[in-house]
Amino acid sequence: MKKRGFVFLILSLFSIAVLAGFQRLVVPKYMGQVVEGNFTAEYYRETTPHQVLFLGNCEAYENLSPVVLFREYGITSYIRGNANQLMPQSYYLLEDTLRTETPVAVVLNISSMKEAVQENESYNRMTMDGMRWSSSKWKAIEATKTEGEHMVEYLFPVLRFHSRIKELEADDFTYFWERGTVSHNGFYMRADVRPAGEFPAERRLSDYSFSEQNWEYLDRIRALCEEQGITLILMKSPALYPAWHSQWEEQIVSYAEEHDLTYLNCMDHLDEIGIDFSQDTYDGGLHMNVYGAEKMARYFGELLKEIPGITDGRTDPELLAVWEEKGRFYDSMKMAQETEFAEHGYLSQFTEAEPSSDGS
Amino acid sequence: MLLVSYSFAAFLAVLLLGCFLVPERFRWLFLLLFSLIFYGAGGPQYLVYPLVTALSTWYLGKRIDRIGREAKAYLKTQNFDRAQKKEYNRSVKKRQKRYLILGLVLNFGILAAIKYTPFFYEICNGLLGIFGLSFGFSLPGWTLPLGISYYTFQTMGYLVDVYNKTEEAEENPAKLGLFTLYFPQLTAGPVSRFGALKETLFSPEPMSFLRFKRAGFRILWGYFKKLVIADRLGPAVLVITQDPQTYHGIYGLLGILGYTLWMYADFSGCIDIVLGISEAIGIRLPENFDRPFASKSLAELWRRWHMTLMQWFREYIFFPVSTSNLAKRLSNGLSKRLSREVGNRVPLYLGSLTVWLVTGIWHGASWNYVSWGLANCVVMLASQELAGVFKSARSRFGFTKTKAYGYFECIRTCLLFAVLLMFQYYPFPVVFAMLIDVAAGSRISDLFDGRFAGLGLAAGDLWILALGLVLLVISGLRKESIQDLLLKKHWLIQYLAAFGLFLLILLFGVYGHGYDASQFIYNQF
Repeated sequence: MKKRGFVFLILSLFSIAVLAGFQRLVVPKYMGQVVEGNFTAEYYRETTPHQVLFLGNCEAYENLSPVVLFREYGITSYIRGNANQLMPQSYYLLEDTLRTETPVAVVLNISSMKEAVQENESYNRMTMDGMRWSSSKWKAIEATKTEGEHMVEYLFPVLRFHSRIKELEADDFTYFWERGTVSHNGFYMRADVRPAGEFPAERRLSDYSFSEQNWEYLDRIRALCEEQGITLILMKSPALYPAWHSQWEEQIVSYAEEHDLTYLNCMDHLDEIGIDFSQDTYDGGLHMNVYGAEKMARYFGELLKEIPGITDGRTDPELLAVWEEKGRFYDSMKMAQETEFAEHGYLSQFTEAEPSSDGS
Repeated sequence: MLLVSYSFAAFLAVLLLGCFLVPERFRWLFLLLFSLIFYGAGGPQYLVYPLVTALSTWYLGKRIDRIGREAKAYLKTQNFDRAQKKEYNRSVKKRQKRYLILGLVLNFGILAAIKYTPFFYEICNGLLGIFGLSFGFSLPGWTLPLGISYYTFQTMGYLVDVYNKTEEAEENPAKLGLFTLYFPQLTAGPVSRFGALKETLFSPEPMSFLRFKRAGFRILWGYFKKLVIADRLGPAVLVITQDPQTYHGIYGLLGILGYTLWMYADFSGCIDIVLGISEAIGIRLPENFDRPFASKSLAELWRRWHMTLMQWFREYIFFPVSTSNLAKRLSNGLSKRLSREVGNRVPLYLGSLTVWLVTGIWHGASWNYVSWGLANCVVMLASQELAGVFKSARSRFGFTKTKAYGYFECIRTCLLFAVLLMFQYYPFPVVFAMLIDVAAGSRISDLFDGRFAGLGLAAGDLWILALGLVLLVISGLRKESIQDLLLKKHWLIQYLAAFGLFLLILLFGVYGHGYDASQFIYNQF
């Protein structure tokens, strides 16, 4: 009987190990052209707390450099942002963060207010797969899953990604055990430059009101911050496209006034920030590159340092050591990208195919 | 609820756990509850159809039974002579027949109204069109209730059995409800007979690890056939069959063979799953397949394919039709006018024709299916007529006794079956044109001219399909089922086989997000 129990235990462990191994193998590693799928998980590698937490979509994780924010002001920060991160996801990521730390301020990028539903399942996967399991993750999935997505596929990602077994790449084996760090405290670095150009005319919308759900989650973020004594700041990053309509702006301004919140639309302060859309964007004006993000950090630091409770972390040797290490990684990546861009005119990691000599 | 869905996996897990916990005497009630949940998952409104069938069948069965018993009791009190008894019994049978007909008309009427109204509407509109008329209205579209053919056939078989006194009427309406709605057989059969099922259905065998294990092997094998083979092969086959202009010649042959394999993998996979599930909960349903591709004639193949439905047709259509007064009158008439030989053939021809007409219509409400049924009938009657010729020819040639010739017969039968299946797809002349094209224009080199890429099968898919088909052929050649074979092996082999199969399904199955969970082909009946 004892022997049978032992054999059963061994076989069960073996089965679980094999299944877990295959699951790990087929799950996308996001170490190639699309690295955003690693952002959520990277947060859990942090060893020191943060004074400021940034939340939002691509406008949050591409437009401000936490390393510069620390270097210039000693403010420790982390960006919990993802591609097309929806308001419910921002709320639950905040809830998730508050399990382990309580920042002094939360800066919420409000451009995701205009997104009522998730447009693509892959955005959900990139945002949610890296999140540690908790009731927050469960609720975030429930609140944002697209048609055809199932909770069980988040519990056992092999059910979702099993068909990748036929298209495994070298990265799937290289990063089987551990993936490299791709962000700088949630910041997505791009040191290439593509000046802003022409944009297609924005279509008029029949209805400019934000969805009920987004208002609800904005209220919940505000309430949670109030409850925890956290200063909530609303912001809109500099981006030329897609347009941020005045009707949306009015609604956010009025909400901020009603609840006595600071709201900063960076598009109204481009000169003060020093944003030059011929130099500070890597994709023609949609997102900031590292130069724009550094300018944003310098500008935003002035605002943040005035918040009661924000201190200069550079006076703490332990913290300083941690951030110096982060700084070295940041500088080396920036330099590598700058060198490559200067040499080739593009960054190979983020370019589908090498452009031909005529630039086409 | 689809058998290939996460909700069904959860449903099954709770059901199996419940079967372990619920006392045996209440298990049938537990199964009734779960069958109602299974059926009602598509929308509670769909429960109305099987409940009407179950209740009407239960009531009418009881009425028929009671009339019979009352008549028997009455006869005991009377001193009727033989002629009086005969006359009385005839009047009793007449009364019973009214209830039987009421049940048949009501339930087959529901089936016909739901499934065949568009078909008959089309026919009538076509006829009116000859005179320049039309109905002037279109039919509202409605969803076919799951398994309506299966439960209608089962319950009507029961009613006929009660009428024929081969079965006693069930007193408990809930039990007849379970017989009607027992969820595993609603998906794609088998079509069970009440007498054969009632004992195991209402007094299931105790839950046992050995049976659970055997059932588990079978369920895994079923899902492998469905998700790894059928759902990978199906889309490629559809590309060929839906675009014969592009995919002709050797692709036509691929389409013909692929369609048959797809259908077999899908249907037999479904049957393995449902029979496995049923076995796991202690209820043995009748087998529906018996290695059909090991058949040496089309008639034999049809005795081994969808066996329970063909038995139902034989029992409730072929025999009644071939022994009917009409058949007798026709037989006598032709015997007198032509010859005794011709007359003797009438019952067989009439019965076969009716069965295959119904088989065709049952499979699909269109002329294609009718012609497919009739084509099968013609081939089988012709081979029966020529049986003597074949027999004498075989006796002259020694090689017909070899194993190789046996294999040839199997392959020939499979090809014939596959070609006839094309009648389901295309009208009569198109099938012939296709066959001529396949015979005249098939070149292996055409497989490498780029058209194959359009089938959507990557190299990986081809390897997986090849593995799946090899396993399918091996299992088809063995008399012993996969599950019985595995049970004889060492526990480690059993574990490795089951775990390996599970991994193959998990990793190579066609399922999940982005995949349109396809129904089993035989769900639509």
